Amino acid sequence: MPTPFLSKETVIMRSASSSSSRRFPVLRSSRKRQDLLFCLCLLLPAVVLCTAFILIPIIDSVVMSFTNYKLVNLTKNRPGEWNDFANYTRLWKAGKLQSAILITGQFVFWTVSLTFLVSMTLALILNTDPPGARFLRSVMMIPWVIPTVITGLLWAWIYANPYGLVQYLVHLFSGGRITDFGMLNGKGTALWGIILAGLWKQVPLMTLLLLAGMQNVPEDIMEAARIDGADYFTRLIHILIPYMRSVIAVSVSMCIIENFKQYPLFATLTNGGPVGATTTLAVLSYDEAFVNNNYGSGAAVTTVWLLVMIAAVAVFRLIFQRNKGETA
Amino acid sequence: MKSRHHAVALAAKYLVILFLFAFLLFPVYWMLVTSLKTNVESYRIIPSLWPEKVSAGGYQTLFQDGKFLVYYGNNLIVSALAALLICLISIMSGYALSRFHFRWNVLLLATFSFSQMMPVISRLISLYGILRRLGMTDTRLGLVLAISATQVPFSATLMASFFDGIPRDLEEAAWTDGCGRMKTLLRIIMPLVVPGILAVGIYSFLMTWDDYLHAVTLVRSPALWTLSQGLKLTYLGEVSDWQLINSASILGALPMIFVFFFFQKYMVKGLVAGAVKG
Repeated sequence: MPTPFLSKETVIMRSASSSSSRRFPVLRSSRKRQDLLFCLCLLLPAVVLCTAFILIPIIDSVVMSFTNYKLVNLTKNRPGEWNDFANYTRLWKAGKLQSAILITGQFVFWTVSLTFLVSMTLALILNTDPPGARFLRSVMMIPWVIPTVITGLLWAWIYANPYGLVQYLVHLFSGGRITDFGMLNGKGTALWGIILAGLWKQVPLMTLLLLAGMQNVPEDIMEAARIDGADYFTRLIHILIPYMRSVIAVSVSMCIIENFKQYPLFATLTNGGPVGATTTLAVLSYDEAFVNNNYGSGAAVTTVWLLVMIAAVAVFRLIFQRNKGETA
Repeated sequence: MKSRHHAVALAAKYLVILFLFAFLLFPVYWMLVTSLKTNVESYRIIPSLWPEKVSAGGYQTLFQDGKFLVYYGNNLIVSALAALLICLISIMSGYALSRFHFRWNVLLLATFSFSQMMPVISRLISLYGILRRLGMTDTRLGLVLAISATQVPFSATLMASFFDGIPRDLEEAAWTDGCGRMKTLLRIIMPLVVPGILAVGIYSFLMTWDDYLHAVTLVRSPALWTLSQGLKLTYLGEVSDWQLINSASILGALPMIFVFFFFQKYMVKGLVAGAVKG
């Protein structure tokens, strides 16, 4: 049973002068009631804002996904007619939903795994305190503070066909055989272009968090294992990573959610193209709702998106928990 | 033999660090260099690492075209207002969450972290309808409130973790001295969590400066466009002027880089506290 504000003091007061508290029981309960009132007042703005702008819209959009809701409904302020699963079945039959789920899954899986691998490598190296580590740690954060749309524009320029840097590098390393390489124009490479841009933006934060987590790893245990002859990777897997469990769980979950939500990079780099090769659930829902003005259909996509994302985070946590059982 | 092994490992370490930092920092350098090159020079087959003739033409155009500065100003106003609002709300709710442990606080925290996960678009579809009914689409107020709402859950829990670090004895002492609840919070507790307030404020500023989706759906008239929206809708076209775009990108990224370096200490502490506790 959680104790309310200042209850410790009331306990002291009661034990010190139990006769007085018996005489004035109103005093204690009125103070508790006032605490409650004060607490409610403090929470009110946050609760109102989050209810009005997050909770109600989410519930509303789930309801909307089962209705036929178009631009007319919005302008005439008319509620949409209930059409059961029509939005879902139409999207499914057109194959849009499956392909968007697949592409989103690919994007999230690769971006998160690569971000984790690169960040872990970087964090491990920076944790050994190479010369200039402090400086490196702070300039490392620059990609993270650059706004996402600007990140998109920057990489659009790097991938630009013609004149882009990547095209030149490909030309150079292929010995002049490949002269026309548009990263974002090919169906097979466009998604990788976005993954790379996402990686660039997200590595700094993950590295920062992992570095912070490494501070909790006891130095003496690592040292003892080294003396016992455990090589670097054994120490990494059996000591370092288990100690960093909670930081890894939080930062990877955050990364999964972040990438599921990713939209601005797609909007600036490919807009879902070429021929739908980068149409994720985010792009599909935006296009359905705000380009085709079919809000019901867009809401159906976001509902599926929500479920897929919750499932993904749950699966990650499950795998993580099971591994914990094995190592412990 | 052992020392040679060691030397190889060391070399590998520096090679990896060099490669990763080149990956992280070269694009930023490339953005800067392109912004200083004329398009004629940028469009060469073999790119030059430093402009032959430094040109500030891109920046000049941006300052004179009458649009960029409007977007920039709008973004500053929206982000600053949102950051202030977020700070205020998260100080209040963070304090409540840290100090008063009533049963439904747990429920509230769960709702907070759930709503933080929600994709923005899933809200925007119906938020657009709701704000339209309230006459708040295409206004700064609507945009500021919508953006603030997305940051409040994280900021409130972050703020709560800073309040957790302040001993409760202070409140008890204040209470016995006859200091009221509100006065205790304002006069005694708040001065002690200034680093936390800074962390929350700067983080909120960075995150709201980054907003694209809210602006692009809730605001339609170009006079109110924010930077991200304006950059995407005005300057990125079929035929892009890359010097102009890179100049705009540099100007859009600079304040964030400065803010980060200036307040780095608070930011890093806050982020780590938020992630490790949340």
